[in-house]
Amino acid sequence: MSTLKHHPDTATLVEFSAGTLEPALAMCVSAHLHFCDRCKNELMRLDQVGSQIMGEADPAEVDGQLFDKVMAKIDDLPEQEKVSLPASENNYPPLVEKLVENTGEDLTWRKMSASVDIARLKTGQNDYEVALHKICAGGKTPKHGHSGREFTVVLKGSFSDESSVYTEGDFIMKAAGDEHQPMGAQNGECICLSALEAPIKLSSKFGFLMKPWLRINPM
Amino acid sequence: MLDIKITVVDDPKTAPRAAVVSTEKRSDQWSLLLVQVGEERDRQAFAQLFSHFAPLLKSFAQASRHEGWFPGLSEELVQEVMIKVWQKAGGYKPEKASATTWIYTVARNCRIDMLRRKSNTQHLPLENEDFWHEPDEETPVSLLRQKRSEDRVQASLQQLPKEQDEILRKVYLEGKSHAEASEELGLPLGTVKSRVRLALQKMQILVAPEFRDELI
Repeated sequence: MSTLKHHPDTATLVEFSAGTLEPALAMCVSAHLHFCDRCKNELMRLDQVGSQIMGEADPAEVDGQLFDKVMAKIDDLPEQEKVSLPASENNYPPLVEKLVENTGEDLTWRKMSASVDIARLKTGQNDYEVALHKICAGGKTPKHGHSGREFTVVLKGSFSDESSVYTEGDFIMKAAGDEHQPMGAQNGECICLSALEAPIKLSSKFGFLMKPWLRINPM
Repeated sequence: MLDIKITVVDDPKTAPRAAVVSTEKRSDQWSLLLVQVGEERDRQAFAQLFSHFAPLLKSFAQASRHEGWFPGLSEELVQEVMIKVWQKAGGYKPEKASATTWIYTVARNCRIDMLRRKSNTQHLPLENEDFWHEPDEETPVSLLRQKRSEDRVQASLQQLPKEQDEILRKVYLEGKSHAEASEELGLPLGTVKSRVRLALQKMQILVAPEFRDELI
């Protein structure tokens, strides 16, 4: 039985299913799905809604040559190769592994505070900073808030804050301005994937005044 | 070949006192054809799928109101989707989804990838397919539930109140986010979200909605 307690809300899943969710958030939802059968199955039913809506549309007239064009392209297709990712010791969800691989040598862990390290990931978009966070066992973080929304998925271990304990696969959304004080579990380090919304109202002129928590750097 | 034999065993460890609940088939012609394409690379079957789905896919493409989308892309999308269908048909499992649902997911992913390729601000190192996971749960009961839910969605979609139907179409066909739909319809975001949720509840898509913390 899954012990997951924290899931994306319905609106987020619907947007994921319809393909309108911003990519950085979709990355977090995808990481959550890796751990959550319940959401995976709900998503399958949401896809059925999309397919029925598509299936009931009035068919549009298609160019008579189109089938032949498609067959010609199919005949020209190169042999398909199965590309399998090299096994990684991290054992992250496949999409996270891809992001880590894509970041390559640029992936560097740096200290954010005494008990938290951060490694930014290259994701090809600028709306969110997507990063891995590592909280050391028993590590306390300063109480902090963010100027944008923050999405977190626990990939390994667990952490807690004032309101709950979060374990592998849990999906946590914090609205802009929400404050929290995460604490690593005593029994081991905790690794999370997070997406932090770029602040719009803060001008970079004062960037140097912001605490590292408030600074975001999409890669 | 396509019969899904549904047997329910109270406890898998005890001797199977199998009670046959149902032998539901996914035998709609499109799913049968798609299996033929996957297993036998059958071009005749593919031609039949093409003549049914290409016009629907084009209509789906034309409905798009995504930023950066223009009508000229519609047939390009149809081509791309049908080529993917040919390539991926071998992985199609009729007991998990109907051909229509499966092809829809291919189309949705292709549409997003196409938009991202044309975008100046997004250069993702991923294809939209990478975001997806096959549902793992494959117990006979869950497969039966999926099949039933597909039938139910089909039946109940037509009976939705106009305002709920309108929003679902905006979201799934036009590709609008909830926020964009709320702006367009002049409705508060919370109203848009709750209309979507009401529609899904009516179609019994949300099996256990109480486990989510809803943020309106």
